[in-house]
Amino acid sequence: MSDHMHEEEKISYLKLIKDGVFKENTIFRLAISLCPAIAVTNNLRNGVYMGVAVLFVQVMVNITVSAIKGFLNPKIRIPIFMLIISGWVSVTDMAMAAYAREVYKQMGLYIQLIVAFASILAMAEMFASKNKIIPSAFNGIGMGLGFMVALTTISFFRELLAKGSLWDFPIINARPLLIMVLPAGGFFAVGILMGFFNWIDMRFYGGKGAGGAGGH
Amino acid sequence: MTIKEIMKVTAGLAIIYLIGGVLLAGVYAKTSPVIFKKAKEEKEAALKKMAPEADAAPVKIGDWEPVHKHAEYYSVTKGGETIGYIAETYGKGYSSYINILVAVGKDFKVRKINILHHAETPGLGDEIERAYFKDQYEGKAIELLEVVKLEGTEKILAISGATISSRAVTKGVKDAVAMLKEKYEGGEAIAEAKEAKE
Repeated sequence: MSDHMHEEEKISYLKLIKDGVFKENTIFRLAISLCPAIAVTNNLRNGVYMGVAVLFVQVMVNITVSAIKGFLNPKIRIPIFMLIISGWVSVTDMAMAAYAREVYKQMGLYIQLIVAFASILAMAEMFASKNKIIPSAFNGIGMGLGFMVALTTISFFRELLAKGSLWDFPIINARPLLIMVLPAGGFFAVGILMGFFNWIDMRFYGGKGAGGAGGH
Repeated sequence: MTIKEIMKVTAGLAIIYLIGGVLLAGVYAKTSPVIFKKAKEEKEAALKKMAPEADAAPVKIGDWEPVHKHAEYYSVTKGGETIGYIAETYGKGYSSYINILVAVGKDFKVRKINILHHAETPGLGDEIERAYFKDQYEGKAIELLEVVKLEGTEKILAISGATISSRAVTKGVKDAVAMLKEKYEGGEAIAEAKEAKE
């Protein structure tokens, strides 16, 4: 009996992660946090680093929100979520500046942007404030991984097409489509990839396509 | 909502923010000395890299204010003799102030530049950090420090998509060279005498 329950729990954790990456992918399915998806993805390295930073903040915010949800007055939950998010972002920012300077120099510009990501606030509100700590952590891992996968895919194509390089290493000695490095190219990349994922969903899994919410 | 409720919510919010503030202050107190120390070491290392031929660490000789920011300049010595100068300078770029180090020789031609800090557009403006752009400044006299968009001249070729950032760097470098030239051209003795008079 207890074995059976244990297994069931395990499966649902895996499902939480899978949902975050595929069914509820922040960028391609929910269509939120498109702002960073366009702003920082002109280079594979930036895309991956940003994904890692968001993964960390998302998990920590989900855990914190879930831990204190019992004491929250619902009327003031949004300002409290904002405090938790900006607190974790500041901690990440300062800790990296002190102990991981090489990485910080590359992505210090973007860390503080995470405060404004809709995806993190949305998960705090929609999931962590209603669920226990461990499922919330797994939800955070799933959503963070989904965000990371999306940013990595977008930045892979953008860097390759705009600069002919990947992670700053030259791959082809040409710049086929310089427009991909500009914000306009980011819209193209996100739009085409979103369409592609929708097509896969509709063609093979009988889905109806993404219903985007929009937002930063 | 009654007054009492409003007071309660406000007080709760104030307390939670206070706790958050205290926690953040704790992290700041722990990390800021480390950040400060590492930033200082990085600055010293950056200065040393600007003057590889020097046999002593560059010595600060004054302060100046490019685009209303505080910056310092240094003299480079070898065997007790001044062989050049390094100036920190700023250029007003597309989305940030670009912090630059410029090394010049005794002939006031640029030896080397280095970008210390900036927040230009990733992917476009941040190309100013690349060697192919920075190397263009080597050996240039002040008259050649100007941005052009066509290849085939001796001036500075703009980065496509980042003309404003290219111009900002060039302006910053030019200001620094002009400042050093005005102060120190014609030998240190004259400059020192001038300063003494003032």
